[in-house]
Amino acid sequence: MPERVVTVVPEDGLHARPASKFVETANEFDAEVQVGHIDDNPVNAASMLAVTGLAVTCGDDVQVRAEGPDADAALDELTRILSTPEEDL
Amino acid sequence: MTEQRLNGVGVSPISASGTAIWYTPEPTLTDPPAPETIDGDDEWNRFLTARQTAKSELQDEREQTAAAVGESEAEVFDAHIQFLEDPQIESGVESAVESGRPAEHAVSETFSEFIEQFEGMSGQMAERADDLRDVRDRLIRILSDSERADLSSVPPDSVIFAERLTPSDTAQLDPDRVAGFATVAGGRTSHAAIFARSLALPAVVGVGTELNTVATESTVVVDGTAGTVIIDPTAETQAAVGNESIAIQTESVSTGDGHSIEVAANVGTNADIQTAQEHGADGIGLFRSEFLFLDRAEPPTEAEQYETYRSALESFPDGRVIIRTLDIGGDKQIEYLDLPTEENPFLGERGIRRSLGPDEDLFKTQLRALLRAGRDAKTGSGTLAVMIPLVSTIEEVTDARAMIETVASNIETKGVDDAPDGRVETPEFGVMIETPASAFLAPALTDHVDFFSIGTNDLAQYVMAAERGNDHVRTLGDYRQPAVFRAIDTTVRAAEGTDTWVGMCGEMAGDPSMTELLIGLGLTELSMSAVSVPRVKTAVQETSVSEAQALVENIREATTQDMIKSLLRTSVR
Repeated sequence: MPERVVTVVPEDGLHARPASKFVETANEFDAEVQVGHIDDNPVNAASMLAVTGLAVTCGDDVQVRAEGPDADAALDELTRILSTPEEDL
Repeated sequence: MTEQRLNGVGVSPISASGTAIWYTPEPTLTDPPAPETIDGDDEWNRFLTARQTAKSELQDEREQTAAAVGESEAEVFDAHIQFLEDPQIESGVESAVESGRPAEHAVSETFSEFIEQFEGMSGQMAERADDLRDVRDRLIRILSDSERADLSSVPPDSVIFAERLTPSDTAQLDPDRVAGFATVAGGRTSHAAIFARSLALPAVVGVGTELNTVATESTVVVDGTAGTVIIDPTAETQAAVGNESIAIQTESVSTGDGHSIEVAANVGTNADIQTAQEHGADGIGLFRSEFLFLDRAEPPTEAEQYETYRSALESFPDGRVIIRTLDIGGDKQIEYLDLPTEENPFLGERGIRRSLGPDEDLFKTQLRALLRAGRDAKTGSGTLAVMIPLVSTIEEVTDARAMIETVASNIETKGVDDAPDGRVETPEFGVMIETPASAFLAPALTDHVDFFSIGTNDLAQYVMAAERGNDHVRTLGDYRQPAVFRAIDTTVRAAEGTDTWVGMCGEMAGDPSMTELLIGLGLTELSMSAVSVPRVKTAVQETSVSEAQALVENIREATTQDMIKSLLRTSVR
């Protein structure tokens, strides 16, 4: 399963607008996407509840995995969101 | 009766007094029927329908909030929609209805689980619990078909008391009726707090359960600076609040670094003139002369107009009185003029177009009355100024000016009525800047006029091609749109280094959160509804021209309405 590790750049971490954007994007792809802290149980990236519940803050390293036909495209887009400052999202 | 003080977190540096109104939005659930009487499929379909309704409500509220407050405040509704459609919520509700719970209870129980989880966390996470509660209560309200507690129709000067206020609650608040609010829960960064700051509403949050002891209809003061709620305030306390919110200054005011700014009032009737005096206006920045012509069977005579203008001038013996000549057409209709029906009245024959066309005789009569009033009024340093509306060409300006000269010389040579003969001085002459054409032509116009008065309501409407009365395009017609700002900026820059001074008489001039920006741009006169005069005078005194110019530099770079709004917010002390 393709996976990437990325350091979270948005100031709010995975909350508020970055979280909304992340979940919205995860839902746009057919691939099943999971996200979580490294070495922790990953959660469904298409669930706002689950993603917010991770309590990811700015500077955390998170792991994103995807499985499905467009997995790589999904990972490209999702890691871009995680590594873009909030005001540029 | 002694006053009682409760402490919380003040979230906006303003105070107000009003009448407490408790707002209890949470719907109550009745006991569920026995599980065997429940049809799981029916309940599941009820949930799906309610979810659809909730989603369209949220989308509507998102739009309203974006228009009324700002895009960034509206984004919380996106998160609500995502919580609403969350797969974990969906599966939780699905299994609950399958096991025989009615949809309301299934929703309540599924959400509660996550709410508890979030409440156990700190800071931002705890605030997500508020969002979940908000979504849950919305779904339960829709499922139980209960009426929404209505926050939009509270009496004026209400202070809303609540356990907490959610974005859906604040979206319904009418800031003109709500004096402020106080909540049991919440912190400085809660939605309610952000909302209070962006609308300049006094608010105290996180007071704790003691707030529950305050009865509805108590008289209260909300002090957003100290973070206190004062119940049954003494007369002194209330007076202190009154003075703070509306300190009337009858003297003219200057910025902190000594630039004097004329703060004048917009008037239409004699009653308005009195209100303007009572609120400490320095003069009249917009006398809407068409009010003399409305609601009557025939136009006012020259004598009647003369009396009205003269009395307006004498009401402000040491101030400037700017009278706008007849502005008819568009949304203002007059029966005796037999105005044609136009397909696009706002783009039709209105303002100066009529005065130089079919209404030329009326216009000449008005000018005679104006010039005579200016000559005869007993004033000190006060002056009469005349301005013409809806200018879009240089010819309109030169023609109107020529007409004033002609009328002035006619009065001089022939004399009128019982007025003494003699030289009639032509008054200060200006144009309204309210069409894009006039903003583009501003550099050329400076050769022909003494002043510009920017009418932001029409200017925004015409620059943005967004009709004022149409709610669907309200965000577009806002004066915080960068295109509107640029039209204003162009106009002011055109006048720099010339003898033409620039003022403003639209709604923007009366918004104290705009004062710094307008002064930074170089405006020297602001005219507004009389009630706004005290606040704007205070805002002028709090402004430093050099800081204001720095703000202007930043706003010049802004390319979206959101960027302008956020720059303005951060500059507010």
